[in-house]
Amino acid sequence: MLGFILRRLVSVAFTFIAVSIIIFLMMHAVPGGPFDANDMPVSEAVRAKMMAQLGLDQPLYVQYLRYMWGVMQFDFGVPYQSPGESVLQLLSRAWVPSLVLGGLGVLIGAPLGILLGMAAALNRNSWIDYLASAVATIGLTIPVFVTSMLLILVFAVWLKWLPASGWPHPERWILPIIAYAAIPVATYARYTRSAMLDTMSRPFVTVLRAKGLSEQRIVFQHVLRNSAIPLVTVFLPMFIGTATGSIFVEAMFRIPGLGAYFVSSIETRDYPLEMALMLMITFMYCIAYLLSDIVYALINPRIRVGGAE
Amino acid sequence: MSLVEIEDLRVSFRQYGGAVDAVRGVSFTVNEGESLGIVGESGSGKSVSCAALLRLLPPTAEVSATTLRLDGIDVAKAGKDDLVRLRGRAAAMIFQDPMTAFDPVFTIGHQIAETIQAHRNSSARDARKEAEDLLQRVEIKNASDVLDYYPHQLSGGMLQRAMIAMALSCRPKVLIADEPTTALDVTIQAQILQLIKKVQAEFGMALIMITHDLGVIAETVDRVLVMYRGEVMEQGPVQQIFDTPQHDYTKQLLASLHARFEPSRGSDSDTPALELKGLAKAYRIRRRRGLFNEYVDFHAVQEINLALPKNRIVAIVGESGSGKTTTGMMAMRLTDASSGQILVDGHDISNLSPEALKPWRRRMQVVFQDSYSALDPMMTLAQIIAEPLHIHGVGSPREQTETALSWLDRVGLDRSFANRYPHELSGGQRQRVAIARALVLEPTVLVADEPTSALDVTVKAQIIGLLKKLQAEMGLSMLFISHDLSTVKSLTDSVVVMYRGRVVEEAPTERIFSDPQHPYTRALLEAVPVTNPRDKRSRNFLSAEEIEARTPRLTVLQTGVAPHSKPQLVAIAPGHRVEAYVTN
Repeated sequence: MLGFILRRLVSVAFTFIAVSIIIFLMMHAVPGGPFDANDMPVSEAVRAKMMAQLGLDQPLYVQYLRYMWGVMQFDFGVPYQSPGESVLQLLSRAWVPSLVLGGLGVLIGAPLGILLGMAAALNRNSWIDYLASAVATIGLTIPVFVTSMLLILVFAVWLKWLPASGWPHPERWILPIIAYAAIPVATYARYTRSAMLDTMSRPFVTVLRAKGLSEQRIVFQHVLRNSAIPLVTVFLPMFIGTATGSIFVEAMFRIPGLGAYFVSSIETRDYPLEMALMLMITFMYCIAYLLSDIVYALINPRIRVGGAE
Repeated sequence: MSLVEIEDLRVSFRQYGGAVDAVRGVSFTVNEGESLGIVGESGSGKSVSCAALLRLLPPTAEVSATTLRLDGIDVAKAGKDDLVRLRGRAAAMIFQDPMTAFDPVFTIGHQIAETIQAHRNSSARDARKEAEDLLQRVEIKNASDVLDYYPHQLSGGMLQRAMIAMALSCRPKVLIADEPTTALDVTIQAQILQLIKKVQAEFGMALIMITHDLGVIAETVDRVLVMYRGEVMEQGPVQQIFDTPQHDYTKQLLASLHARFEPSRGSDSDTPALELKGLAKAYRIRRRRGLFNEYVDFHAVQEINLALPKNRIVAIVGESGSGKTTTGMMAMRLTDASSGQILVDGHDISNLSPEALKPWRRRMQVVFQDSYSALDPMMTLAQIIAEPLHIHGVGSPREQTETALSWLDRVGLDRSFANRYPHELSGGQRQRVAIARALVLEPTVLVADEPTSALDVTVKAQIIGLLKKLQAEMGLSMLFISHDLSTVKSLTDSVVVMYRGRVVEEAPTERIFSDPQHPYTRALLEAVPVTNPRDKRSRNFLSAEEIEARTPRLTVLQTGVAPHSKPQLVAIAPGHRVEAYVTN
């Protein structure tokens, strides 16, 4: 196991370096730059001075190495769009709302989805099964900005139960959390239902019944544990995908989160911020998949314990 | 009062477009300590009847019966508590495939202990101790280690033993064994059957043995129930059923045990139709060693020499993992060999390019074990049979269809089947289509890889008969791969026995049966179930080490070959070779 983790950490490091090079090259391959004439009408001399100040007149590889050297010391530079703070300060400020709302969305949505999927699998072809299918289909097919708009329309405009938008008051969190939870609920309801049905059709479940175990024990100990294997592996990647914010949800509910910066950093050619965001996402996904693999091995003895007598 | 009382049991399954009757009016009883065998082919309702007894049928099943009692409990009215008593304590079950019968994520010990705790107030510690005792009673030597093993770490035979231990854990009054040995090798089957008889006597249980195999019936039970299409054809003491069967179906079943052997005609030609010279297959296995990988060769097949004479049938027999299928696939060039030559009619085809190989493909065809996955489900039978003609450009499309239709006749299917799809056929009918597809190109060599092992006994006999008939008509040379010596007895001219990737013995069929030399061949023969309950006996089983130790020892004088530290194949009679140590 330790060998496995070490090997994976080495491959994470390689992935990280490879991705950083690719992103850096792609970022600079797009024509134009941060100080283009139509965005920023300054004289040629001023532009040259600004470029030199930011190191943008250097050859690409020097820029890359300089940036990565900084990264290794946790210095991600200063965002061009907000020069009063460092990239790190900007991220830690903007990430909080995204992490809270998106994270809570997944943490609430995933268990709900699991419960719904279980209820559907245990009562196949009943109304709850159809409900689960409907929720799964709706959750996965309707775009999140439509859901958000509907939520605002129904709960804020018509019923006037909840405020439509804003931050930081907790009662304003409810609607965005529901919007974020739609996908985890749908995904987990679908995964859980099919995993449980698949497990329950396996011969060993008949054996468990034949030896006199109660139905509860069969479902909660045996079926659930076998079905959990695929469920666990999708959790962390989903968490990261949601907890880094969605530009749509954050725009709809006017949340000062991270989502908007993914777009604005590219639009305004904010190289340091763009790089930092991409590296952060890459790193988190690498770690998430590593952890998923470890958990997968822990709950699946066929991986944990080698074969053969 | 009997332990099991079933009267006029009817089971039907609701399906799209109506109900299917699986059991129609079955009645039988089982007394304490008695052994009842239920024999019948797939779909005869034998398993469904017993599943109904424990209420294990899916919700789509509709069950009705005048009486359905187990250990005095009315099964239809049983509540939650009664069910716990019925399942495990009144009756325990063992199932067909031990590999899928255990929950893969819990240890064997946990699964046995949880059964004990479901029925009795027992501490985890006591339950575990008892599980260990039970494992010892089913003759598992390293019982304390096996407790902590996960199912995937054990072989099929060991798992079936553990399954029996689990069934015994609540001291059931009746043990229901549903095809307990069908998924196992012949040698393992014999051991498991003997074990079931032993524990039945020790625990004083009744036994219901459900099987399609009359040999298993002859070995294990006192009384037999013959089922066919959901009805009981006849029942009686086992000896009476074997000696004076009343019903046609029973007679047919028994006849399949005693097929006569007629040798194939052979040919004057000395060149074998197919010859394998030093054919070997090694797989590279990657092993983890710390941070690095280490590669080890696993020899699935070790340098095999084998000749298939023209117009003859040769069997390759061996247990799963012996390399017999790999050998057949290499001979067909469907698996790449690591080394060695494949000679078809004297021509080496082992290094031909795919284009150069194509004309040879016409001359060598193959039939697989699982006819369902071997036939394209989207093609009609006529298309399936005509496809080889199309691939090799034989005749016009019209002629191809005509040939396909005539082949339907030849394999005993009606021409009206031409536009049907594989899923509309039974297993035996599908295998007939697979045979027609293989032979439509009129090949000279046919490799048949366990073509009958997925089939019911009577169907199996029909397919063997068909292969034999077509072989004689076409002068085919056939390599028949099987795990079961009794299947090849009525079909093949000679037998090659494979064991752990090597040929250990090779002889004409009668000689293999009358004068086996290698300990493994003997073990295989010893394990074949008897064909009459009168002949049943207790058996001794050899471990792998004992087989190795009993390898024949011959001298240079006896064999005329040079001595060697490793065993080698030596001729001891015309056509009879055996693996032996040769010393001075």
